[in-house]
Amino acid sequence: MWGHLSIKNFWEGKIMSKEKKYSIKKDFSLLALLLIPIAVAINFAGGQLASLLKLPLYLDTIGTIFVAMLCGPWVGGLAGLVTNLVLGIANPIYIPFAIVNITVGLVTGFLARNKGFSTWWRWIISMVLMALASIITAAPIVVLMFGGITSSGTSLITATLMATGTNIWKAVVSTELVFTVIDRVISFGITYLILRVVPARTLIKFSLGENYIKKGKNAAVADTEENVDDDID
Amino acid sequence: MWREKLKVVKENKIAGLYPFTKLWIVLFYSICAMILGTITVDGYPIYMILSFVIVPILAILTGIMKKVGGVLKNMAFLSFFIIVVQGILVKSKDIIITLNIFNFFNVNLYKQSLQYGLVLAFSIMCMGGILAWFFGSTDNKELISALESKGMGPKASYVFLSTLQMIEVLQKSSKTIMSAQQARGVETEGNVFVRSKAFIPSMVPLILSSITNTEERVLTLESKGFLVKGKKTKLYDVSPNGKEKIAMVSIIIYTVIIVLWRVLLWVL
Amino acid sequence: MGAIVQFKNVTYNYPLSDIPAIKDINLSFEKGKFYGVIGENGSGKTTFCNLIRGFAPSFYKGDLKGEVLINGKATVDYDEGDLALNIGYVFQNPFNQISGVKDTVFEEVAFGLENFGVPVDEIERRVVDIMKLTKIEHLAEKNPFSMSGGQQQRSALASIIVLEPDILVIDEPTSQLDPEGTESVFEIIAAMKAAKKTIILVEHKVDLIAEFADEVIVLKEGQVIRSGKTQDVLSDLSLLEHGVQLPQMAIIGDELIKRGVPLDYIPVTTSQAMEQLEKLLNKEAK
Repeated sequence: MWGHLSIKNFWEGKIMSKEKKYSIKKDFSLLALLLIPIAVAINFAGGQLASLLKLPLYLDTIGTIFVAMLCGPWVGGLAGLVTNLVLGIANPIYIPFAIVNITVGLVTGFLARNKGFSTWWRWIISMVLMALASIITAAPIVVLMFGGITSSGTSLITATLMATGTNIWKAVVSTELVFTVIDRVISFGITYLILRVVPARTLIKFSLGENYIKKGKNAAVADTEENVDDDID
Repeated sequence: MWREKLKVVKENKIAGLYPFTKLWIVLFYSICAMILGTITVDGYPIYMILSFVIVPILAILTGIMKKVGGVLKNMAFLSFFIIVVQGILVKSKDIIITLNIFNFFNVNLYKQSLQYGLVLAFSIMCMGGILAWFFGSTDNKELISALESKGMGPKASYVFLSTLQMIEVLQKSSKTIMSAQQARGVETEGNVFVRSKAFIPSMVPLILSSITNTEERVLTLESKGFLVKGKKTKLYDVSPNGKEKIAMVSIIIYTVIIVLWRVLLWVL
Repeated sequence: MGAIVQFKNVTYNYPLSDIPAIKDINLSFEKGKFYGVIGENGSGKTTFCNLIRGFAPSFYKGDLKGEVLINGKATVDYDEGDLALNIGYVFQNPFNQISGVKDTVFEEVAFGLENFGVPVDEIERRVVDIMKLTKIEHLAEKNPFSMSGGQQQRSALASIIVLEPDILVIDEPTSQLDPEGTESVFEIIAAMKAAKKTIILVEHKVDLIAEFADEVIVLKEGQVIRSGKTQDVLSDLSLLEHGVQLPQMAIIGDELIKRGVPLDYIPVTTSQAMEQLEKLLNKEAK
């Protein structure tokens, strides 16, 4: 009776969606798996560049968002997890925040599957939803594990708020609210730029890639493998 | 002949412990630290603070203090701020000291908040520290090999290993691109907006080329039989070095003593 | 006469494209022979390789009409990943042929054997042998990313050849290399020819094709416009109109014949040219 609820069916998408439109197996194609290291490296580089340029932002979810939009929530979530584990090797502080990065991946991925990015106003709603989800997962970690202070520059603001007598939760949530939203808007912006320049023939190899191919571009996609590979000559 | 050359040979007996043994140590030590955090002297988590001392000692004995020292310093820095912020900015019942700054205003050091801050800070120091020890004394190759023998699939190993390699490659590229941008006169100092403008053009071409390379790399992996079904052989395998039993016994005794102590305090 | 690779009425479109990249191809490849594939840019050479290797349509998606048969079985009927057991594939970009998970060249070359489940002792023996053959022994402990293009390409070849596939598909292996790198790669290809592997090589350097290939296939706009013995194809100067490069010797030979020099046939390789000139000079001497 419950046979159809087996993991195999879940994997092949027979339960999650009625039309078997999305399957985890399809999401995790070899190409998607290879995209994860890039997503992690982007997150890593983003975080590093942000601190090099001394920006009061995190910029460590750009890769997660990107890969979630192309390959769905599970791949996105995995990218988030791997990011923080790898960051954790260098500095264990980052490990608890894996939850935040995983959430970013999951939420963005589910939104992407459900046409969350098909029009500009949907982009905005999706961004807001994702930012809220990030704050909801991040704030408790910051308050309960770190007493409000992390190694990010945003903590200075949190501390200042607390100095004026604001309750720690209010201080952390307010800080997170402002900076996470800004961070996510920028991250989504960068992702948008990248999606725009990735050629259609590449996009199509990802499970959600078709959503990002501009309609008028079909005519221009007579650039076959030939033109690209022979360019190197 | 080659396999011996490629094998990771560790002289230090502690560093050479089987990765899972070390993970048990991480787990038990962390649990003990948390338990000790509840045994306070006048509200101060003295024993937890004392138990932290084990981390640098362990690091020195494992011979990785140089590697791990930087991480510990960073965590200490963070912990210091946590303690200060909690102790000064969060009001609680008792005040230990009142400092007068510039004859202008008073800064109070609150006792309970300080104690709470200490607990938070040393939770971080202990758990973060022991994890830092783990990562500092274990090669990525070893850990992944151990996970594989427990059944982790080759695709998962691939994701981890190539992530680690790719980060190195991209880090070098991003530094190059940054200097190239600087050389072109793009501002990397200045106010927030200026700095952001410098940031974005650096990222996009980098990411684009990585993605294009990935397509071909999928073909490479397939050509090298990555998707062939059946059991894969491992050229390199991590093996226990014989001291695992002693290590496990030590950490278990440590844990048992602490648990008993806590239970006794609770009961009496 | 086992046809090891067969194209039966193959037409293929990349996704989102109306124009077929490959049109109506019918070809048969025999085991143990060396085939050269030439044609101008955009003529479908790489697509051709992708079809043999099965990457089209499995990786590139798109529309395949007709069948590509490897050892009598259609590429689409093979289980995922199994074609790697029969066909080796080397392509242009040396950087992208590094797996990205191994720290030394030795392990990189061994990677494929690990995936095939070959016992550890055998892996070591085969890797050592292949490194000797491809002259990369001195690179064994180097990090694959820190080598020159030529070295990376040799290591890529080694990694594939060590798997002992029946068929080798090699797509413009030297276009990103300097002359020294090119030479070292062709030494390896020569060794493979001597070992009687079935080789399908796409190359712009027609002189080298003339040296090695038993038969040549000429592509234009996705179709085969000429195929046959190297000698016949590469001396057919009408191909020049189709954007195809021909060996220097053939062009010179043709000019010489036009100017009345009585060559027996148009040479395509240097040695053929030498042979003919010697004959002529000996005749003169008589």
